[in-house]
Amino acid sequence: MTDLPPPSPARVTPSVPDLLVALGVLLLGGLLLWGTLQIPFGINAVIGPRAFPLIVSVGLLGLGTALLVAVLRGHRAEPAAEEDTDPDAPVDLRQPALILGGFVLGALVLQPLGFVLGTALMYVSVGAAFGERRWPLLVGVGLAVALVTYVVFTRGLGLTLPPGVLRGVL
Amino acid sequence: MDAIQSLLAGFDTALTPMNLLWALIGVTLGTLVGVLPGIGPALTVALLLPVTAKLPPVSAFIMFAGIYYGGMFGGSTTSILLNTPGESSSIITALEGNKMARKGRAAAALATAAIGSFIAGTIGTILLTFAAPAIADIAVQIPPGAKFALILLAFVTISATFGGSPLRGLISLLFGLAIGLVGTDLQSGQARFTLGFPELLDGIEFVTVVIGLFAVGETLYVASRLRKGGANVIKLAGNARMNREDWRRSWKPWLRGTALGFPFGAVPAGGAEIPTFLSYTLEKKLSKHPEEFGQGAIEGVAGPEAANNAAAAGVLVPLLTLGLPTSATAAILLAAFQQYGLQPGPLLFITNTDLVWGLIASLYIGNVMLLALNLPLAPVWARLLLIPRPFLYAAILVFSTVGVYSLNNSVFDLYLLALFGVIGYGMRRFDFPVTPAIIGVVLGPAAESLFRTAMQQSSGDVGALLRQPLTAFLLLVVLAALVVPQVLKVRARRQSTQP
Repeated sequence: MTDLPPPSPARVTPSVPDLLVALGVLLLGGLLLWGTLQIPFGINAVIGPRAFPLIVSVGLLGLGTALLVAVLRGHRAEPAAEEDTDPDAPVDLRQPALILGGFVLGALVLQPLGFVLGTALMYVSVGAAFGERRWPLLVGVGLAVALVTYVVFTRGLGLTLPPGVLRGVL
Repeated sequence: MDAIQSLLAGFDTALTPMNLLWALIGVTLGTLVGVLPGIGPALTVALLLPVTAKLPPVSAFIMFAGIYYGGMFGGSTTSILLNTPGESSSIITALEGNKMARKGRAAAALATAAIGSFIAGTIGTILLTFAAPAIADIAVQIPPGAKFALILLAFVTISATFGGSPLRGLISLLFGLAIGLVGTDLQSGQARFTLGFPELLDGIEFVTVVIGLFAVGETLYVASRLRKGGANVIKLAGNARMNREDWRRSWKPWLRGTALGFPFGAVPAGGAEIPTFLSYTLEKKLSKHPEEFGQGAIEGVAGPEAANNAAAAGVLVPLLTLGLPTSATAAILLAAFQQYGLQPGPLLFITNTDLVWGLIASLYIGNVMLLALNLPLAPVWARLLLIPRPFLYAAILVFSTVGVYSLNNSVFDLYLLALFGVIGYGMRRFDFPVTPAIIGVVLGPAAESLFRTAMQQSSGDVGALLRQPLTAFLLLVVLAALVVPQVLKVRARRQSTQP
């Protein structure tokens, strides 16, 4: 596309992660197309429920191909610069993995153990991933945030959140 | 309809004590999320949607409007004191305002940003007051085909025309459209792309998509390449204020910035970046001290900040009159209207007069409140920048969980949230803009329905779209918006390679 680097005489090696993303877009387009063909035709409709998904999936396949071509010609994605990120810092995928693990575990125990313990677990995992090592403080703040959130949202705003083991106490 | 009379009725609605309180809560929350990294106004409104379900719509929208305007004010504080623009429209403020702050002129930079935002916001709201009903009157007569073409135009301009990479913007848009397809087709009742999950029959809640892509994605991404060491916040002594010289140098850039910002926001072309950049270039050209630019020129903060806020007011014109959001926050507001069973568009001015005019009146009130909140309280907001990042991001994740869980009381939605978080991480890592995806999710179903209505009216004849003059014209503009920027870029590159 337009943001290609100028073609260099040397052979460029495509970046593998970018290649996977382009293939992922193509795969998504392909799966959508396959799914589109599974949709039964609507009755009494000039334009049935298939038409729009067809446009989207074919569009994704086309754009995915364009991205693949760009990557094969040496294009690389520029990671976003965010407020708290350091573009030069080494990428550490263990930290996001820790957050995701804590989140899924917290979601699993949300019903049986309750909202407060579940979200406190999520809180601690994010805090740890962001480098907080004062464990008693982190766990304490996590529990406090979860508890205050629970009380405000259930009492003040009338939402229903699972009480879990704290049923009867709160 | 007489706009002034309607506006006065709107003030009647907005000036009740309860609604004033909601406006105050809104602007305070808005400034808060504008100052804090990791969350923006779009995300905040999305987080609050499930919570406000029990509120009367007028109060909810008055609060949302406060968050919307407040976010713009708060963003400039972060840009100036921390040199980190939260969104692309604050890049200039960060550039010029942070240099001023480093020279010990933080108070003046914050003041010119706040007062400029107030003036631009107020003038923008006045323009909105008179433009919106006039456009709504015309918009009633637009046929479905032309409405579809308008949505197409918004899609293309938001994803392809102004972003860094049109290809990535369009992929992001189509990804959003694909998410919008999941669920039961409203016209035929067919289930689509549910993969056998009964939870997906109602479609994917856009709140889950928004919070996943924005909040969880941001948390994961920041954790992967965290800046070590504390944030470099510039200390602020005392209130935000300006001296006589600052006023003299600021007032013209404020007005010029407003004149640039509003029209750019109001046309369904999207984005506050272009007018802020234009304003910056203009001020640099007109300034008697062009050498100060890049070193902390007050005009370089005043103009772009005004342009930014005027554009924010402008964005409400297509949103309220056509139901066409041109920014991520506007898309969430549109979805909020839909949650209350309201469809923004020309009819809203007739069917929900109280709501629309109460909302517009609250924008005037919110602006005054924001000025009062930001000048004397600037040091308080500055302190928020010192919240340790582990505690801040952890709290954002917990609030995200509450927001998504309480939609349907379903843990399934939390797994979806994690999935969209991973996708949001990938989009940041591989430079796909998030806004087009959000617009796709929110507007996709409307686009499909208008497309099918138009096709059914013409018995499936695509050519009929082209024979309707307005539709044909808009489709031509869509084509031009796709092709012209590419041609210009190719020409610019040729010229740079040929000496």
